[in-house]
Amino acid sequence: MALANPVPGARFVDPKVLARIGNLEFVAKTVVDGLINGTHRSPFFGASVDFAEHRGYVAGDDIRRVDWRVYARTDKYYIKEFEADSNANFTVLLDVSKSMGFGGDSISKLDYAKTLAACLAYLGNAQRDRVGLITFDEAVVHHVPPSAKHLDVVLHTLDKVEARKPGHLVGPLRKLAEHFGRRGIVIVISDFYAEPEEVFDAVGPIRFRGNDVVLFHVLDPREIEFSFTDPSSFEDMESGDQMPIVPVKLAADYRRLVEAHIEALTKQASQKQIDYMLLNTSMPLDFALFRFLSTRERLARSR
Amino acid sequence: MAFLTPLFLIGLAALAVPVLIHLTQKERKSVVHFPSLMFLRKIPYESVQRRRIRDWFLLLLRLAAIAMIVGAFARPFLRGSGVAAAAGGARDIVVLLDRSYSMGYSDTWSRAQRAATEALSGATGADRISLVLFADTAEVALRSTPDASRAVAEITAAQPGPGSTKYGPAIKLAGSLLAESLLPRKEVILVSDFQRGGWQPDDTLRLPGGTTIRTVPVEGAQAASLALTPVSLLRTREANQPERVTVTAGVLNRTAAAAADVPIVLEFDGRVIQDLRISVAPNASQSVSFAPVTITTPNTRATVRLGTAGSASVDALPRDNVFHFVITPAAPVPVMTVSQGAADSMLYLSRALAIGEAPRFDVALQSPEALARDPLTRVRVIMLNDVPIGDALASKLVGFVEGGGGLLMALGPRATWPASRDAWLPATFGAPADRTRGAARLSGMDFGHAIFEPFRAPRSGDFSSARYYSYRTLRAAKDASVLARFDTGEPALVERSAGRGRVIVYASTLDLNWNDLALKPMFLPFVHQLGRHLSGFKEQPAWLTIGQVLDVDAAEVAAGATSGAAARAGVQRTILTPSGQRRELAPPNAPAPGATPAAAAIELTDQGFYEIRGAGREAGPVIVAASNVDLAESNLDRMDPQELVAAVTGNGTSGATPAQDVLPDEAQELAQRVWWYLLFAGILLLITETVIAHRLSRARS
Repeated sequence: MALANPVPGARFVDPKVLARIGNLEFVAKTVVDGLINGTHRSPFFGASVDFAEHRGYVAGDDIRRVDWRVYARTDKYYIKEFEADSNANFTVLLDVSKSMGFGGDSISKLDYAKTLAACLAYLGNAQRDRVGLITFDEAVVHHVPPSAKHLDVVLHTLDKVEARKPGHLVGPLRKLAEHFGRRGIVIVISDFYAEPEEVFDAVGPIRFRGNDVVLFHVLDPREIEFSFTDPSSFEDMESGDQMPIVPVKLAADYRRLVEAHIEALTKQASQKQIDYMLLNTSMPLDFALFRFLSTRERLARSR
Repeated sequence: MAFLTPLFLIGLAALAVPVLIHLTQKERKSVVHFPSLMFLRKIPYESVQRRRIRDWFLLLLRLAAIAMIVGAFARPFLRGSGVAAAAGGARDIVVLLDRSYSMGYSDTWSRAQRAATEALSGATGADRISLVLFADTAEVALRSTPDASRAVAEITAAQPGPGSTKYGPAIKLAGSLLAESLLPRKEVILVSDFQRGGWQPDDTLRLPGGTTIRTVPVEGAQAASLALTPVSLLRTREANQPERVTVTAGVLNRTAAAAADVPIVLEFDGRVIQDLRISVAPNASQSVSFAPVTITTPNTRATVRLGTAGSASVDALPRDNVFHFVITPAAPVPVMTVSQGAADSMLYLSRALAIGEAPRFDVALQSPEALARDPLTRVRVIMLNDVPIGDALASKLVGFVEGGGGLLMALGPRATWPASRDAWLPATFGAPADRTRGAARLSGMDFGHAIFEPFRAPRSGDFSSARYYSYRTLRAAKDASVLARFDTGEPALVERSAGRGRVIVYASTLDLNWNDLALKPMFLPFVHQLGRHLSGFKEQPAWLTIGQVLDVDAAEVAAGATSGAAARAGVQRTILTPSGQRRELAPPNAPAPGATPAAAAIELTDQGFYEIRGAGREAGPVIVAASNVDLAESNLDRMDPQELVAAVTGNGTSGATPAQDVLPDEAQELAQRVWWYLLFAGILLLITETVIAHRLSRARS
């Protein structure tokens, strides 16, 4: 699958180079600062000052939120409501199942995802959002509750996560949905080795609770292109099952199935008003972020 | 097609190995860890498809190689093939050809060669022929060959030797050869003059069952046959005169014709000394004495010969017309007697040793101080009478004994021995035991030992008549032999071998101080036996017969070897045989401590004189031994061959059994040797497969 053309003026950072830098905060800062400097404006959520609607004053409302201009015109008390709070919960759900460890001699999907999560957290924290982190495989592994002061904890947690166990989306995500009582932004980073219906069954409850859900689908180029040549036994990293494969004979069918899978995810995400972004680990991180944020801004305008 | 060992065909299961390896090797070639097989599982695909065998040619090569090797081990053969179709079945023929010296009588040998060749004329290509040449021993000249011409060539090249006829070893050897045979018919052809003297009935001599024995008696044309009997030597010595020897020879006429005026000569070292003539009546013997001759040089090679050297033989069997012997002036055994006290204390001993001729003892009396200075290279036996021994002298004596010398330690009140070397002596000695109030007497002699063997018979000497007033108490070592004890049970005479020599400890003195043995009649033979035993002296015969063994060590002692020379000669000796061959006589292996050392010995196989020389500048005396043919062989009286046939076949018949029409499986397989070709082809295929596989691998990489 071909990558999109890079945006002129943006500074694209090679994920492999970033992977060699141990300090995630430094990496995130490098990526995000470069991104902001490159675009000269932050396309991220400025919703905290966006007007949403007026509603009648009821007892108990803070009189500071009364729109006095409307009162002057209508002689009635109206409360001015905004689209969102300026300091929303910003939670990253990171899949740390064994399949995320794939990457071979290049950057692994997990490292890429960790860097991405760090960048997003850094970005969110820069927006005064409360950042949190949840890692999961077949169960929840780490849980850092959203907080304005938790960036360091999030980065530290990200730094130490490893892909150890097989993963399962539905179980942990359904369990987590109950904790997202307050509307916020939920970022799910995974390789989504599950049927699309199963994926949206897992994230659906989070979305239904009013959270803004974003799916980052992280894949290695070899998972997309299936560029293997030698006949080999392919071993499932999670189940350990082996299968004798002649890649030359299967590559076309495999690519077709992967494209169909991505297409199904894209389509269903669109239907459920969930943002979906496919990330190839060979894609520079700041370019991936830029593309994603641009898309969100475009979608936010259209919604 | 049949198989001799069909169980090996189970090995064909190994054919599955290359197929499995072929299929499984690529399976294990590499494992790719992939995040998920979710999509791959959805692809309809027969995974077995990739297990197709790619290199069919290589696989076939491997399979063929394994099949051939397994087939080779199963030993296939074609049953009832033409190889087995010899008329009456194939034979394993063993030709026993007598080559004793009696076969040299007249034209007996040429007749025997012709008879043996004719006996083989009926052999077919399927038959196997072995040739055994025998006299007193048997040797395989040709083993199991289908080529009759080779056997004929061997028969033609063979010559009669100096040995005497003995059928036993030949029959045994033929039996062992036929026992290995796989052919259906076994046959022994015995070509001999069938002398009665060569056959000793023996129940253990049996040919394998079904063996046919064919006797081919050969007899030369009747002719005169004279034989020399062993000579007798009469030695005479007069005072201050060298020894003189009178040689008497006997001549035996075994034919019915009288032998008249036959020349008989006596040769010394190849030169004719005397020339006489003798006449012998039919079937009678006659002796003739040569004039006494003076012998001054040792190892004089003497020969009595019928007829003159270089002239035609006086009869049809020349080998027994000559008799060799060696005349050597008797060499004395050098004995050193050492005493601490006055010289007359050794009077009895020295006088006793001075008497006697076989052997003569050359006694030298020394003081302990002189003994310490003497290099001990000119002495064979040392007799110490009550001598204190210091450490240095003890070391010297140990070296002397282990080099082949003999040591007698007679203990008196002054005798000592360094404690550090106690373990070397056959017995440790303690304080003197005083028996002045009741003399001790000798009892419990080991009459089986060489020293006391002459006293074994009744009234051959009463040792108990000697009275011992004092003696040193002895404690014998574990590996020592107690040869005599006192009536108290304490050891009186203890012996042990040390290296190549012997050491004896005697608990009392050799003089009259502690006992009166020297006054008794058995004293003289006793000390003579001590001297003979300690010196290792054995009287050497003037001649030996072929097949006997010459004890080189004993011969050296008899020739006057001293201990030092004996020790040096033990390293290496050179033998010059009568035929002029020179060969080395390896020294015997070093004996275990306390064990009797192995003697150097050679077996005499030729007629004539053997000469043995020690290596090095100070080698021992030269040994010359005469070797003669066995006189019994010259007796041409014949036996009935059927007697021998009946004895070795067990039933008095020739032992023939009906021949099989077809060879047994083993024989057919042996004849065809298909396994060899299969094994060769299998190995060739493996090599080809290796080369091709290597090239394919390189091309692919």
